[in-house]
Amino acid sequence: MAGGDGDRARAPKRYKSSAPSKAALVDETAEMNYADDFDDDARDGDNEVKKRDFTKLELKPDHVNRPLWACADGRIFLETFSPLYKQAYDFLIAIAEPVCRPESMHEYNLTPHSLYAAVSVGLETTTIISVLSKLSKTKLPHEIIDFIHGSTANYGKVKLVLKKNQYFVESPFPEVLKTLLNDDVISKARKAPEDCLGASSFAVSKTAGEIASGHDLLDGIELAAATEDKETHSFEIDSNQVENVKQRCLPNALNFPMLEEYDFRNDTVNPDLDMELKPQARPRPYQEKSLSKMFGNGRARSGIIVLPCGAGKSLVGVSAACRIKKSCLCLATNAVSVDQWAFQFKLWSTIRDEHISRFTSDNKEKFRGMAGVVVTTYNMVAFGGKRSEDSEKIIEEIRNREWGLLLMDEVHVVPAHMFRKVISITKSHCKLGLTATLVREDERITDLNFLIGPKLYEANWLDLVKGGFIANVQCAEVWCPMTKEFFAEYLKKENSKKKQVLYVMNPNKFRACEFLIRFHEQQRGDKIIVFADNLFALTAYAMKLRKPMIYGATSHAERTRILYQFKNSPEVNTVFLSKVGDNSIDIPEANVIIQISSHAGSRRQEAQRLGRILRAKGKHQDRMAGGKEEYNAFFYSLVSTDTQEMYYSTKRQQFLIDQGYSFKVITSLPPPEEGPNLSFHTLDEQLDLLGKVLSAGDDMIGVEHLEEDSDGKALLKARRSAGLMSAFSGAGGMVYMEYNTGKGKGAKKKDPAKRHTLFKKRYT
Amino acid sequence: MVNAIKGLFISCDIPMAQFIVNMNASMPASEKFIVHILDPTHMFIQPNMGDYIKSKMAEFRDQNSYEKPT
Repeated sequence: MAGGDGDRARAPKRYKSSAPSKAALVDETAEMNYADDFDDDARDGDNEVKKRDFTKLELKPDHVNRPLWACADGRIFLETFSPLYKQAYDFLIAIAEPVCRPESMHEYNLTPHSLYAAVSVGLETTTIISVLSKLSKTKLPHEIIDFIHGSTANYGKVKLVLKKNQYFVESPFPEVLKTLLNDDVISKARKAPEDCLGASSFAVSKTAGEIASGHDLLDGIELAAATEDKETHSFEIDSNQVENVKQRCLPNALNFPMLEEYDFRNDTVNPDLDMELKPQARPRPYQEKSLSKMFGNGRARSGIIVLPCGAGKSLVGVSAACRIKKSCLCLATNAVSVDQWAFQFKLWSTIRDEHISRFTSDNKEKFRGMAGVVVTTYNMVAFGGKRSEDSEKIIEEIRNREWGLLLMDEVHVVPAHMFRKVISITKSHCKLGLTATLVREDERITDLNFLIGPKLYEANWLDLVKGGFIANVQCAEVWCPMTKEFFAEYLKKENSKKKQVLYVMNPNKFRACEFLIRFHEQQRGDKIIVFADNLFALTAYAMKLRKPMIYGATSHAERTRILYQFKNSPEVNTVFLSKVGDNSIDIPEANVIIQISSHAGSRRQEAQRLGRILRAKGKHQDRMAGGKEEYNAFFYSLVSTDTQEMYYSTKRQQFLIDQGYSFKVITSLPPPEEGPNLSFHTLDEQLDLLGKVLSAGDDMIGVEHLEEDSDGKALLKARRSAGLMSAFSGAGGMVYMEYNTGKGKGAKKKDPAKRHTLFKKRYT
Repeated sequence: MVNAIKGLFISCDIPMAQFIVNMNASMPASEKFIVHILDPTHMFIQPNMGDYIKSKMAEFRDQNSYEKPT
């Protein structure tokens, strides 16, 4: 090593946006040539290149066999082609935040929060360091070791366990408990049957590991995920003081953040719920893995599981509920997904119909029996206004009950204050959050860490694609040049409000869209969804092309009819959707998405829309890498060049790019020979269209606004404070709201609570 | 008699030509710089305006491109 160390070790990859430094290129050695591919897209114009010198890192003699690079600044690079990739990936995902995961090289970042999550799933400081140094090509920089020590010193040392309805503070380290007891608040909260003089009085018990640890080259990893037999010390605290004790333990006070665990097997107070997974429900490997993180030591941990759309989040949720077998409160974002969750529960588990109830503004089912599953929306629970009488009763029941599991769907959409409210209203032993798009660099994620728990598992999208679990999507960005006349209007100052509608209605874009629809309908027989946020454009496109469309004001009956035809009729292969289709409409048949306008720079919307076609289709073997059809789903984003849309488009793609997707740029659509076959070929037609666009009133070209679902009222006020929501979604100030069907409109007028007191009696 | 003036010949794509035309239109009458628009992609302008147009264009392009924050 002595001779070669200095110049051979280098960072395999830099920031995407930074140019490769010259030094790095000079230092290139034969076996590291792959690194060049990653630097290709570096922009030359970037002057703020941060040069990082990694020449000091000492390369181990057998570095070729080791899969990762650990840098002093906490960044870790993983080679996905290494034979140890799988093990290393499982380990890294537990201890670090994924930053960017393209095909051959992943970037991770060690943060205090990721380490907190690592500790909470049972990894110990020494294990983290030893496994990391085993996997690293270089000697671990001492900065990293110090960082891990510093971040994990106190995390996970103390657990709050609810056993037989008594709260225990548990720790394998008696000295930590002593420190805690020195605090006034905590020592007062302690319930002491005999004396409270020091360590001798701690109850000592043994916890048995649940998972048999697999022995391979890296046995440390598996061993750590399970827990070996070890002694734990505990003391009981007063259940009324739990909140205060938790507060005292937060980093700003004593800095021993508590992990919450639920020993559901020994919970004799809450009635059991008779439900099992049906035999045909076979969780996939990654679903098993996420569940094993949750139930690592025979108890249920609170936390968040991140899986892409279409990868079977609901099965994970239902499996978790089946394992805990206690009352379960399931929270979804809107009434449609409430129905879907209720359906999933019945589909995958043996739960009896009378044990499951839905609670939405239109559907207030009373729950019967001692234990059961209740599916409702965040709005219904957190709603602060006056409720109707029967929903008040149900809410009262939800408040009074002790829930075994609080299952929260799409946790990223819910603003923090709403979460706090939901969590304060419902008493639950264990909380599980599910999401597809937990955008990470956001500060608000820390709120989730303490409100729900750490991130337990995050799947790698590309691995799921390779395994054939989700569709292999070809993503393309179609560049449509603006026509002369449209661009001239776009540039005019007086048209600043109409910019969006001008670039969306760009005739070249329309022609590209028409061409793509024709191509996929006729040549491939695909089912196509066209997304347009802009209502004016949606109507114009759909009318011109004579295709059905659904937007906020479309009635429920018509919606069902259109979707039914789309699913079953060979005649209807294309449907136009406004943003009502982003989340709530489930269309498994579709495999092509064409996006003609979008909500500014929302990365979450992009990911959610892609999620509409992620559900795997076709035969399993065809979908595997090298199968018959390499791509079986297509995602086109049509962008007018030289306009703001380019900015938004690139921004929107970032999340998917970080997941390893690449966007192909297509510039020559439609092909020139299509000429007069497509609409708006002649200048006259284009000018006519331009005239229509310009004469449309401001109210027509605006963004669609819809009514929300809530307790029989439009909860517009709460939803409009969407700043927080965008923070969760990581849209960076771009507000992207979830809209409901607009069904609430009618109910709003009829709501008895809104009537004048004089008339109330008359009508109720 | 033929009048010869020195100028700058610009060749660009259709949208950028519109951008320059729009720039020209927003100027006060005395500062208008386009001598003649030859066709949708070519034009003839005052010789001193080249750098100014370039800088304006760079500004416009920057507005429309997203850089990933690091």
